[in-house]
Amino acid sequence: MIRFEKASVTYPGGVHALKDLDLEIPDGQMLVTVGLSGAGKSTLIRAINGLVPLTSGDVIVDGVSVRGASTKQLRELRSHIGMIFQTFNLVKRTSVLNNVLMGRLHTTSTWRSLLGWYRPEDVEIAMQALERVDIVEKAYVRASNLSGGQQQRVGIARALAQEPTILLADEPVASLDPPTSHVVMRDLQRINRELGITTIVNLHFLDLAKVYGERIVGLRAGELVYDGTGAAADEGVFRDIYGRSLTADDMMGKPAAEAAAGV
Amino acid sequence: MSTATTAGRRPAKPRRSLAVPVGIGIFVVITLLSVSDQWGIGLDIGGIIEDLGNGRVILEQLLDPNWDFIPRTIQFSAQPPFVTGPLVETFQMAIVAAFIGCLVALPVAFFASRTTAPSRPTVVISRGILSVVRAIPDILYAIIFVAAVGIGPLPGIMALIFFNIGVVAKLLSETVDAVDEGPIEAADAGGGNRTQMVRWAVLPQVLPNYVAYSLYAFELNVRASTVLGLVGAGGIGFLLNVQRGFGAWSNISVIIIELFVIVFVIELISIRLRRRLV
Repeated sequence: MIRFEKASVTYPGGVHALKDLDLEIPDGQMLVTVGLSGAGKSTLIRAINGLVPLTSGDVIVDGVSVRGASTKQLRELRSHIGMIFQTFNLVKRTSVLNNVLMGRLHTTSTWRSLLGWYRPEDVEIAMQALERVDIVEKAYVRASNLSGGQQQRVGIARALAQEPTILLADEPVASLDPPTSHVVMRDLQRINRELGITTIVNLHFLDLAKVYGERIVGLRAGELVYDGTGAAADEGVFRDIYGRSLTADDMMGKPAAEAAAGV
Repeated sequence: MSTATTAGRRPAKPRRSLAVPVGIGIFVVITLLSVSDQWGIGLDIGGIIEDLGNGRVILEQLLDPNWDFIPRTIQFSAQPPFVTGPLVETFQMAIVAAFIGCLVALPVAFFASRTTAPSRPTVVISRGILSVVRAIPDILYAIIFVAAVGIGPLPGIMALIFFNIGVVAKLLSETVDAVDEGPIEAADAGGGNRTQMVRWAVLPQVLPNYVAYSLYAFELNVRASTVLGLVGAGGIGFLLNVQRGFGAWSNISVIIIELFVIVFVIELISIRLRRRLV
């Protein structure tokens, strides 16, 4: 379970990215956070694995205080939290498999990783992760030779290779076209359901949030302004979160409706 | 296209900074002062033209290489070690120094880059040491090491190693500074330690540059051998200096051509390797 306790993040320069946030995320939940850029979505996600340090309050992940964690404890905590990024963050010059094996670094000794001698069981886990996102045939291809959607699936495989209990996805589809976005979102949904991994996804398209969010959390200027089911989140709710009326730019568009019908 | 409504939103043209013209002006003035008789080195254009005749003799000999001199620089035999001679020694010194120097420069570069160093002081200290290492010219290293270990290729190799560490570590650390930080965040988020992060998120990104810098260092080492020999640090420089004393420019021409061939071959290998790695 993840619990935010009056968690606040103030960046140097005085921007309050999170303000006294209280939030509880039970195991196995698929949570979608929505809000305008700058509302604190990225900060919320990075507070969970300590990539962004809190300025006050705390986040408790599976009983461990993130704020009080030592460097070693933080590494230990991060080892079971997978992360997926908007820009994929792959090493483009190396193979897909090498990228996914980065998810096994936390159980690989330093000398083994220096030489690239991953244990066969770790390579097996990486291959299975690639199979789960249906891209294993690209294992020995350079990451730069893949399309955006394929790269993001490699990103997901890298996170899965950690064998995580929590998956954080920061705007995972913001760099992708609508059909590919749905492929990636469905992958995340399937992983959440089949493996029971707690999944937290930042999205800015409201229709995507409604389709895939078991629970939706709305952020505005670092504060929680909505917490409810995706089904209950109607236009009025989103108007509240955004602080303005909605436009076509807030929707991904037609494929969402088709996807909703298909799911 | 109604200019009347958009004109008010156009920004005013920013005033041009004077930094560039003033900078150029200062540079020109300093250059002219440096040339002048009173303040500088007293560059005499007339003298150059007058003395051009002396240079012509040398130039003529240089353009007429004495190919019979080749056996003095490189000897072949049927028994091991098959090839010997000062040119071979130069090549061997360069390759040993490049190998050791570049190997040491690799970790040093990661300590000297803000992106990968464990702390700020590490960066400052590493960069400081590298500045000192680079400030000492290779010939000075050679003089010091000849005094310390005696004449021969060993002090030359030691001098070149220091030279290579300075050059390669500096260039590589600047490349590391400019690396894509996305994979670094991914490695951190996955619970990898710093060494693992550098190995898998950074090294693949800078590898082609590292190979290019190393080959460049190798090339510089081949050329540096011409001066190292002057102070007894091995290689073809000693032979070159003797021939210069004789005024045997046709022989020196052969040495220059041989060095050119080596440097050219290294360049070809560099281009090939880079193309395969990038």
